[in-house]
Amino acid sequence: MLEELADWIAATDTSVFLQDAEFAVPLSQSLHIIGVAVLFASALMINVRLLGLGSKVRNVSAVMATSLPWMWRALLLCACTGALQTFIEPQRQFATTIYFWKMGLIAVLALLTWWLQRTSRAVGTAWDAQTPPASARSFALLSSLGWTLVIFFGRFIAYV
Amino acid sequence: MTIADILAWIEQSAVANAMRGEVEGTEFFFPVIETLHVIFIGVVFGSIFMVDLRLLGLVERANAAARFIRELLPWTWTAFAGAAVTGLLMFIANPTTYWDNTQFRYKFLLIALAGCNMLVFHLGIYRQIDAWNERLPPPTAARAAGLLSIALWSGVIFLGRWVGFTT
Repeated sequence: MLEELADWIAATDTSVFLQDAEFAVPLSQSLHIIGVAVLFASALMINVRLLGLGSKVRNVSAVMATSLPWMWRALLLCACTGALQTFIEPQRQFATTIYFWKMGLIAVLALLTWWLQRTSRAVGTAWDAQTPPASARSFALLSSLGWTLVIFFGRFIAYV
Repeated sequence: MTIADILAWIEQSAVANAMRGEVEGTEFFFPVIETLHVIFIGVVFGSIFMVDLRLLGLVERANAAARFIRELLPWTWTAFAGAAVTGLLMFIANPTTYWDNTQFRYKFLLIALAGCNMLVFHLGIYRQIDAWNERLPPPTAARAAGLLSIALWSGVIFLGRWVGFTT
């Protein structure tokens, strides 16, 4: 059924038009990488700060206030460009199991990030004076590992 | 010895063979190194992008610019070193092809220009940062450096991705 869906999408006029436009895929992929960059670096800055590993010049709450909104904006850019790439080359994406692993993992990480955002609003500046709780530090580890895996999955769609 | 000879010599090295996956067990070397390259680029672009946004006066408005810049730049430089090493390994796999590739050459031109932009900023307006640390919007020279940096690094990413379509 997925194969039929992919074939149907790939046969639409818009998809065919974009397949023929030489620039569409590399341009979309470049914007996708820019989104990945902002998302990954922002996540890493939050996670490193929650774990208390890097610079402690800024408070935990300040790092989250700056970086969380950019994580969501970058995720939106990645979702739009990713959807466009799937629309242009559905057969390439749907044919790999890894594509669906990537999507599932992103859903889980987005939920976890949403949890962090809600929690950070509830605690305000309470984490600034002390070590963030074990739940926040566990989040930091899972998030760092998770987004790294997402990048691996994404790149390996082209190879498996 | 010409450049072509040097490139051919690199191409025949053991590292090149492994990077092309021609030795048993090295089949995944290239995609793994390429993924690490993406991760390092991610941190380079993501961290410099936040610095640029501060130079434009769009983030961390309540905090001194110098403090934020000094916190983020070590991330950029560490990741840049990682991107350089992984990039070199990818180059070693097919040096002649990359050397002759137009997009590849323009990518390095843009990296050089981004470096010049950084140098002009550090030798220029950054020297008086104590005077505009809290000023919003930051001075025109700082905003121009931030905007130019975003444009140049975006160009580097675009050309880098384009190399993958033209080699």
